[in-house]
Amino acid sequence: MTTDTGHVTHEGPAPARGLRRVTAPGFLRAAWMAPLFFGIGLGLVVFFRRLAGWDPVFDWTIIVAVGALTTAPFGFLGGIGVFDYWLRYVSGAPTRPEDHSSHGARRWQDYFRVNTDHKVIGVQYLVTTFAFFIIGGLLAMFFRAELARPGLQYMDSQTYNGLVSAHAVLMIFLFIIPAFAGLANFVVPLMLGAPDMAFPRLNALSFWLLPIAGIMFISSFLAPGGAFAAGWTGYPSLASGAPLGQTIFNLGVQWAGASSILTALNFLVTIITMRAPGMTFWRMPLLVWANFTTSLLVVIATPFIAGSQFFVLFDRVLHTNFFNPSEGGYVLGYQHIFWFYSHPAVYIMMLPGFGIVSEVIAVFSRKPIFGYRLMALSLMGILVLGFSVWAHHMFVAGMAPWLRVPMMVSTLLIAVPTGIKIFSWLATMWEGRLHFNTPMLFALGFISMFVLGGLSGIYLGSVPIDIHASDTYFIVAHIHYVLFGGSVLTIFAGIYYWFPKMTGRMYNERLGKVHFWLTFVSFNLTFFPMHWLGLRGMPRRVSDYADRFGDLNLVITISSFALGASTVVFFYNIITSWARGPIAVSNPWRSMTLEWQVSSPPPIFNFDEIPQVVGGPYEYGVPGARHAVMSGGAAGALQETHP
Amino acid sequence: MRRGSILRMVTIGVVAGVVTALVAVLVPWLPTSASEEMDRIEAVFWFTTVISIVIFALVTAVLVYMVVKFRASPDDESDGPPIHGHTGLEIAWTAFPAAIVTAIAIVSAVALSRNGDAGTNPVRVRVVAQQFAWKFEYPGAGVTSGRLVLPVGRSTELELGSVDVIHSFWVPEFGQKSDAVPGIKTRLVITPTRLGTFPVICTELCGLGHATMRTEVQVVQQKEFDAWLAEQKAGAGAGGALFVAQGCGACHALAAAGTDAQVGPSLDGVAKAAATAGLPVAEFVRESILEPDKVIAAGYSKGVMPGTFAGLPKDQLEALVAFVVGGKGS
Amino acid sequence: MNAHVEAAEHHHGPPVANQSSRVSATVLGMFLFIASEAMLFGSFFAAYFFVRVVNPSAEPWPPEPFHLPVFVAGVNTAILLTSSFSMHWALQSIKRGNRAGMKAGLVLTFAMGLAFLLTQMIEYAHVGFNTGDHAFASVFFGLTGLHGAHVFVGLTLLGMATVRAFRGHFTPEHHHGVELPGIYWHFVDIMWIVVYATIYLL
Repeated sequence: MTTDTGHVTHEGPAPARGLRRVTAPGFLRAAWMAPLFFGIGLGLVVFFRRLAGWDPVFDWTIIVAVGALTTAPFGFLGGIGVFDYWLRYVSGAPTRPEDHSSHGARRWQDYFRVNTDHKVIGVQYLVTTFAFFIIGGLLAMFFRAELARPGLQYMDSQTYNGLVSAHAVLMIFLFIIPAFAGLANFVVPLMLGAPDMAFPRLNALSFWLLPIAGIMFISSFLAPGGAFAAGWTGYPSLASGAPLGQTIFNLGVQWAGASSILTALNFLVTIITMRAPGMTFWRMPLLVWANFTTSLLVVIATPFIAGSQFFVLFDRVLHTNFFNPSEGGYVLGYQHIFWFYSHPAVYIMMLPGFGIVSEVIAVFSRKPIFGYRLMALSLMGILVLGFSVWAHHMFVAGMAPWLRVPMMVSTLLIAVPTGIKIFSWLATMWEGRLHFNTPMLFALGFISMFVLGGLSGIYLGSVPIDIHASDTYFIVAHIHYVLFGGSVLTIFAGIYYWFPKMTGRMYNERLGKVHFWLTFVSFNLTFFPMHWLGLRGMPRRVSDYADRFGDLNLVITISSFALGASTVVFFYNIITSWARGPIAVSNPWRSMTLEWQVSSPPPIFNFDEIPQVVGGPYEYGVPGARHAVMSGGAAGALQETHP
Repeated sequence: MRRGSILRMVTIGVVAGVVTALVAVLVPWLPTSASEEMDRIEAVFWFTTVISIVIFALVTAVLVYMVVKFRASPDDESDGPPIHGHTGLEIAWTAFPAAIVTAIAIVSAVALSRNGDAGTNPVRVRVVAQQFAWKFEYPGAGVTSGRLVLPVGRSTELELGSVDVIHSFWVPEFGQKSDAVPGIKTRLVITPTRLGTFPVICTELCGLGHATMRTEVQVVQQKEFDAWLAEQKAGAGAGGALFVAQGCGACHALAAAGTDAQVGPSLDGVAKAAATAGLPVAEFVRESILEPDKVIAAGYSKGVMPGTFAGLPKDQLEALVAFVVGGKGS
Repeated sequence: MNAHVEAAEHHHGPPVANQSSRVSATVLGMFLFIASEAMLFGSFFAAYFFVRVVNPSAEPWPPEPFHLPVFVAGVNTAILLTSSFSMHWALQSIKRGNRAGMKAGLVLTFAMGLAFLLTQMIEYAHVGFNTGDHAFASVFFGLTGLHGAHVFVGLTLLGMATVRAFRGHFTPEHHHGVELPGIYWHFVDIMWIVVYATIYLL
């Protein structure tokens, strides 16, 4: 296909035939390369064990760890083609002229290939993460069914522990963290006035690492001994002697962590080196600030969870003694190393949401963000302080008692920058023109629920209170108020807000509102009672509990099913609107940020010419204010859109 | 801001505050305290609650007022006034929260310090956690028990340890909680203030039997405590004392021992179970102690009863078997 | 990377992004990557700290009866340090157009890196203890093993640079393919000095 101006086709090489169908990059090639690489892993293990004279040579635990969980995924990745360009490049062979055939979505099949377009990758992330959201949510509904009445009805405790552990792992590593990455992937380069991310191929690799991790975690249910069942936190010594599923957990985390780190590197370089002319840091939208600080958190903190899982893996597979006290190991060392990542992780799971809320509230209040600079600085404040509070997860763990007081102080202090943000959002709305479209509803729902979650966090920041409330359902309540009432509500806000930009169609507003209210009500019914349960004596991660808690647990279970059902409204809306919703204009929300100044969906290369930024991104109410000057009209002559 | 708007917001705030305060006061959020430590925890809890109610009322007042007052009709395309900030306000909402959390930190630190003070002559108890049972040792008296017994009005200093994985010791009415960690010793101070029996709950996921890893703590007068210790010490070696010392009563009901725990099958029905297994009662009881996973009663799981009792000296094992067999109902 | 820009010029492709920083994107990317790798080492040093310092039953270092080959490791340190100099020489050479110097420097660096790795493996075989012997061994093999893995990655990068150098790539204007592996190699070297000092000397 050529346009009338006679330009070259972007369809890429002709569809492969014959032998090339299985040697061209794609799932067919991955289908034989993954088992081949498993074989290589198995061979390496056998070779080295024979060489070292260790028996048994066929140690299946190690073979699974090396072959199935390490080398086979590389075979898969190589098969689908993420490494093809780089391998040619580093071997010094001449590179093929760039025909952009692996960039951009022109047909639906493009979403299932290795694609270097950040917009395609963003959608791939979002669809994948929501698939894991469904699976993680179903796992929760299974164990909530067990918890409906006292006693064990449907499963044994080990299965229960596995469900609880997998629920959390999927929600954290396969939903919240990468969903934010996906939204940011789509939006940030557009907001910056950039044609793509700094490293588009690396971006593609980052995405494809994710389904590997998810499949690993889910496959653990099939392992002998069942799914990993030591909680998402995986503490030794319980994790040290657990069955094979725990090894799958150790390595699955590495793949998810690698995905996260590589994406963060990409964001940092993109934000620092590819901003449009005139876009100083103080003219960046707060979503960009939020992803900038989040990416710093990811790069610095994530290697610590990698380390913690390596140590447990080594203890399990190589019989090291990092956490074996009878041979000089220190059990609590794991918790320090693990939480040094996992506390910043909760900010990784929230800061992008803060960015989304800033975008939505400014636009739907028709007002500049109140205290923009302090909002940006508070993000940096949370980043820095966030590294100094990890041991508040360990107040009852038995660490050196003196450490608890400084950790308490820094923990309580983090309420200050967070409070600044809440107050600033409220002040942004003050005297605005409030429009309660679905994104705004979710943003407001977030503010109210995050205040509750933040307040329960203040309780937990106080060591004496935490000594009573730790490891109980009070913690479960706090977690879900900040992660669901916080992060998930902002993810929904972002999806609704950028849906027209990503798909070129409008979602159904009435269904959106129904989704919001169903979610908001059933969420509170599910999780608010847990505060009481925890304080009154119900511990967490238990398959059974004291009889007197039966009635409330039944209420919670039923509400949790309602919460699950409410997501059906969301999926129905998204799917039907994507397929045949009304066509969206470029800027349905009349926003000033750059992504709204191009078509919906954007042209494949985002801009015909890089825009010139001339002012701040939230200058609503200032007559004649402009954020940027676009080249010769937003809908430029040579744009391409996908069907 | 006009007086009318301030008045409206204050009204909403007061209503929200009153409702929240009622919820805070009328709902029994905390268990009835049974220790001095829990009293201090409650004090910090209520201090924090008052502050939280104020903050919540404030945010609710502003949010509800704005949602009603500044709502625009869908076809209103105008923008709001371009207010970029207000330095005074921003300083205020940075400084006040900082002051508030500092106050909470100070109040908490004082309570924490007092809650760690065991005083001059505490009772000393060693807590041994294992999958999935608790054992309490009184080194001063040379006594071991599956139940924790404490004197009222006097501090007890617990030293906790674990023989396998991390467990956690918690009594909700005492407020105090501490993990029991393999390889290190952790410490907890409890000063009971009222008599009664309270649950001891494991609060760190420790495997299959985590949810059932419970026992009891009984708070008695000092005199009864001394008597109990003496009785345990004297009875050491006899089957009945062994039954308690080894923690059997923590999980099994047995009328002769006065225990009614339901973690494991009731031993009052042991004759029937032995008959079903086709073994003489004594042999069945002995086998169940030595190989707990060999026969599992309906509704119970493998891997929960510790296998460590197989290490008992033979004469103690036989005394225990005799006690259980003799103590059965017919 | 040149081909990309040329292609964009003769048929429409992405507009050229604005460069909003004087720092080159790929160099920045490499430094950030090294930052995350340094953090990974940080977690291993934390494990060392817990085993040696915090552990209530901490013993003298190395604990009885383990001994560390401080001298051999010292020689290895010298080898690695020298390889950083040859790497620097290789980069300076291509910046000045000296292709022979670049090739020689790269080959020398690779050879010394390989020597380091082989020495390390021989040392493992003769050190007298195994991964399962005491947390001391866990920390020793963990830290040195992690470092060795990074040397392996560095050698791979150097290998790629060397192949390309011999195939005629790199000019005084475009030599990221030498500079970036160089930066990584210096990181590997500096990290070794920290590991060596911590495990063997302190």
